[in-house]
Amino acid sequence: MKNENNLNRRNFLLSTMAASTALATGTSLLNPASAAGSLKIGLMIPLSGPAGLFGPSSKNCAELAAETINNRGGIMGRPVELVFADAGVPPAEATKTAIRLMLSERVDAIIGMHDSAVRAAVIGALKAKIPYVYTPVYEGGECAKNTYVVGETPPQQLAPVIPWLAQNKGVNKWYMIGNDYNWPRLSNEAAKSYIASVGGKVVGEQYLPFDVNNFDANIAQIKDSGANGVLITLVGGASVGFNRSFAGFGLADSVYRLGTLIEENTLLGIGAENSKNLFSSAGYFGNINTLENQNFVQRFQEKFGAKAPVLNTLGQSCYQGVLLLEAMAKRAGQWDKAKLAATAEGTTFDSPRGTVTLRNRHVDTNVYLAEANGVSFEVVKTFPNIGSGATCS
Amino acid sequence: MESLLVFNSLNILYEVFSLLLVALGLGIIFGLLRVMNMAHGEFISLGAFTAVSCQMAGLSYWVAFPATLVVCGSIGFLLERFLIRQLYNRPFDTLVATWGLSILLRKLLELGFGKGYQSLELPLSGSVSIWGTGYPAYRLLLMGFIVILVGGLTLWYNRSSAAMRVKAMIGNPELAESVGLNTQRLACLTFICGVCCAGLAGTLLAPLYSVYPAMGLDYLLRSFFILVIGGVGNLWGLFTGAAIIGGLQSGLAVLVNQTAGYFAVLIVAIIFLWRNPDGIFHRA
Amino acid sequence: MVFFIARNLGLLAVLWTLPVLIGDYNTYQLGLYLLYAVAAVGVAVCWGQVGFLPLGQSVFFGLGAYISGWSLRAFGESWQVWPLLSLAVIVPALSAWLIGWLVFQGKKESGPYFSLITLALSMLAFQLATSWNSITGGFNGLSGIPEFGGLDSFGSLYYLIAFCLVLALAGSSWLLQAPLGTLWRAISQNEPRLVFLGYSTGTLKALAFGYSGALAGLGGMFYAPHQGLVTPDLCGFILAAELVVWTAVGGRKSLLGPVSGVVLVGLLTSELRDVFAYWEVLVALLFIGVVLYLPNGLSGIFKPLSGLKKTKISPEIAIPARSSVSANGGLSLLFDNVSSQIGTVHILNKLSFHIKTAGIYCMIGPNGAGKTSSFNVLSGELPLSDGTIQINGQPLKLAQHRLSALGISRKFQFPSIFPELTLREHLSIPLWSNQAKAHQYLDHRLHRWRSQVLSSLLIQFPFLSNQHNLASALSHGERQILELVMTLIAEPKLLLLDEPCAGLSPQETKHVIETIREITQENNLTVIIIEHDMQLVRELAEHLFVLHQGNLLAEGNVLEIQNNEQVKAVYAGGSKT
Repeated sequence: MKNENNLNRRNFLLSTMAASTALATGTSLLNPASAAGSLKIGLMIPLSGPAGLFGPSSKNCAELAAETINNRGGIMGRPVELVFADAGVPPAEATKTAIRLMLSERVDAIIGMHDSAVRAAVIGALKAKIPYVYTPVYEGGECAKNTYVVGETPPQQLAPVIPWLAQNKGVNKWYMIGNDYNWPRLSNEAAKSYIASVGGKVVGEQYLPFDVNNFDANIAQIKDSGANGVLITLVGGASVGFNRSFAGFGLADSVYRLGTLIEENTLLGIGAENSKNLFSSAGYFGNINTLENQNFVQRFQEKFGAKAPVLNTLGQSCYQGVLLLEAMAKRAGQWDKAKLAATAEGTTFDSPRGTVTLRNRHVDTNVYLAEANGVSFEVVKTFPNIGSGATCS
Repeated sequence: MESLLVFNSLNILYEVFSLLLVALGLGIIFGLLRVMNMAHGEFISLGAFTAVSCQMAGLSYWVAFPATLVVCGSIGFLLERFLIRQLYNRPFDTLVATWGLSILLRKLLELGFGKGYQSLELPLSGSVSIWGTGYPAYRLLLMGFIVILVGGLTLWYNRSSAAMRVKAMIGNPELAESVGLNTQRLACLTFICGVCCAGLAGTLLAPLYSVYPAMGLDYLLRSFFILVIGGVGNLWGLFTGAAIIGGLQSGLAVLVNQTAGYFAVLIVAIIFLWRNPDGIFHRA
Repeated sequence: MVFFIARNLGLLAVLWTLPVLIGDYNTYQLGLYLLYAVAAVGVAVCWGQVGFLPLGQSVFFGLGAYISGWSLRAFGESWQVWPLLSLAVIVPALSAWLIGWLVFQGKKESGPYFSLITLALSMLAFQLATSWNSITGGFNGLSGIPEFGGLDSFGSLYYLIAFCLVLALAGSSWLLQAPLGTLWRAISQNEPRLVFLGYSTGTLKALAFGYSGALAGLGGMFYAPHQGLVTPDLCGFILAAELVVWTAVGGRKSLLGPVSGVVLVGLLTSELRDVFAYWEVLVALLFIGVVLYLPNGLSGIFKPLSGLKKTKISPEIAIPARSSVSANGGLSLLFDNVSSQIGTVHILNKLSFHIKTAGIYCMIGPNGAGKTSSFNVLSGELPLSDGTIQINGQPLKLAQHRLSALGISRKFQFPSIFPELTLREHLSIPLWSNQAKAHQYLDHRLHRWRSQVLSSLLIQFPFLSNQHNLASALSHGERQILELVMTLIAEPKLLLLDEPCAGLSPQETKHVIETIREITQENNLTVIIIEHDMQLVRELAEHLFVLHQGNLLAEGNVLEIQNNEQVKAVYAGGSKT
């Protein structure tokens, strides 16, 4: 009984809240765009903080997606309108941003490209009131209501790739190095079973605090352990620093490296002289050699010109997010969160990544294994339609 | 096994030397002027980004050295003149104001260069064999350079008349002033010298690490810990501090793991700050 | 009192009406910043009042948040959650107190090293929260924390938060007006002086830090249900530094300053960051500017207005003289072969003398003879390398602040007072020392204490009666007298005076000498005076000690000393008198 009261009160609150907030923040309720029925999507992308460097590519990819969709008539006939907000902030700030987008900007859905702590905050703030699409690479396991994931999970990035490296490059002794938090630990947990299944073994596993920038001890361990493969789940500056040291010590010639978050920007930081035998596994690379992607890249460069940010899997995931919403709406036949949820399973759309299908609110998608060539990646193998391993109902 | 021992020893030696280099600038500014400079890390970034700019302009890496001296020298002069000068003997205000300065410099670097990682080509590639262990040539060169830089500075500090004046100023500012020393100018020069040392550290280390606008914070805290443990105003203190911090981090990283090393450094630093904030080698 | 209650109720009324004006979404945002404000008030108490800067207050905020989040997740709405939630305040408070106690004990300064310790602690706490997956949920945090007693974080929780903030403000201002607050401010003004007045400043600072830890924990306790999520960044350096920035910009000297700083800078930042790329550059510039030019922050601009208010003088409470004083009078002091050495420098070299009876003793000697140094060894400023010092036959082995309880009072050579404290406060601090019980330092009635010694001194020196004047407004001579009066109010048995008449006008000098003589006679006091002025020495001294090169050269009455050949030789040797 008490709960019910509480709920009623909240519903009441929400309806009045929107009005009062709009007044207080000076946004007019009579915004013609939203009144005319545009479909507003809030994009929470990192504009500041350590992940801030992915802000421009995320923003541009989302803009390109909106333009693409609007050119073919919008979502359910409604033009797509994007509202960007910074998600490169502590979770408490992100909560506020999510609430502002929902209540003040009155967005119809939120797409998020940010870390997992912020995801927990956003989910807590939205309370499943609007659909939420989480796009970046992550550790898996998110099954919150009305939440959809288009990013790569460890099973996708590792299950096909580790056997391939074993077979084609003879990598059977793995050393694992990652930053000390959830994603690397869960990724490595998954990796261990794939390594074991092809008869390989793990000869070292190390987790580093975020602000360690000396990797000599790990490099000594790698040398000593006789590893012929290193699985890297370091992020950002740490990944750059490790790879530079690694190659600096001449290990690049004899030991293969596989990163699951080494995208084009990180590779630029690593530098051409340090990128030999460096592999990266992801759902997207800027130079995937498919017609769909070539089209995408061409339009991206036309729209944003010579100074366009470097395309990478994190930024491009925002494009996927917008496309997913379009496809889900088409399948549901109307924009209603319950209807969207009911018909979501099996939603399929074509994208620069290839054909993508929603299963268990995660996606079955192509996974690409790329090898660094100087400061660009070249796809050496495509694994079609890999499942996410998610078990959300 | 033996080669691993050599390798690890070289690594620890390198870590100690590079920490010495990183802390040198702060050793001058905090050690001599008692200015608790929280923007030290950003001065290091300035040097690194000067090197990046030189590479962007197609210039040789070695040009970055005079360029860093010019950039850091002029920025150091302006900062001393308009900010630091008003803060001598106001330790809390210094701490807080220079922290604001560090945010400012970081944001300006972000606006100028973007938030991305910059890659600097190694000016000297290849490796040298030492007792059967290949070691990167640039690291060896760097260690040599640090010995020359630190040795030169020490010699200068112990012998030159300018250093005598600096020491007089530190010992007793009023007295120094009364015997005709321009302490204001001396302090300014000392500060500039500190900024330039930090900048040079950035220039020298940039080819080995990741270069991005927020890189400074790590260097700052490590430098402070080194000074606190070793004691200020004294080269042996600086060296001891670097050896303890570097040895602890590297040693535990080899024996246990990096997180253990990280915790140990923080705990040792806290213990020193608590029990013996003047460090092991305190200037009498 | 009425004003105090009315002001806080008024503030509460304003905060409680705000939701109607600004809408629920802004209320929700404001709620979060009021939580930060609770912690910032603690920063302001430490930094603005007591004078040490905590750079890691997030540790306690995060600790409170984790404890609260964990309890709410485990016990939800059952009754067990209440005792556990109280731990979210108690544990941070105790840990802050313990850290403060360990760090500050036995120190007479609270320099930047303390700040660096707290900074390092915040890094430690962040890494611990990130690594310790099983308890903290790691980097991704503890999520799914239920609401607090069914209070909706979008609505009713705000009222509770606002109430807590007002409670924190009222509690802080009550504490600051209590005698404890006076002592806290005295620490920031002149810590060594307070130690010699008999206070353990380390304990006092630990209390302040513990209190600030409790406030941070309180903020964190509500943060968990408000956000439903607790992540390691709450313990980290960034939040800690932001608390300091907000406090500095808003004004660390007042209590509403940090609140306005948090709300202004914090709210504006979260609103403008997305819109205006240079916002953070602007904040950094503003921050530097405030530190340089507005040490009291934005609220300092309005200070002249609030400074006008004066507290009403209430009837005074007479307290009896200290029992032990008039009884036997004086104490015996023995320096037995006392040496003090720093490095290779000998400061005192086997100095021996013995004072057995009450009276006025003068210590003379050329500069560097060891006069002030012998005081310093006695009061623990300089190390006792060899020999013993005995008081009433007992070897002296005490913490500095305990000397005052033995009846030893000291006046420094250069007047050592508390510039920003009122004269009344100056007179009260020594009055309370060793008289008031620990709990009485929270009792505002202590401000009205008056002893007989104080009353008679007030008649002697009428300028002290302007009780609301700040000591910084006094002339040099008046400061000398103020410090002397402070040492006398403590009703000592042994009084150490280091050139008490330096810088006084002839008239003031005469006045001071009379007072010293009178009090010595009335109370059977032992007074040791260091003096260069032979005229004064002749007038005052019953017995003289002549020191030379850290040793006793001669002793005796004025006539004996004047005729002593050794003394003549030393003084003829060119040293000034």
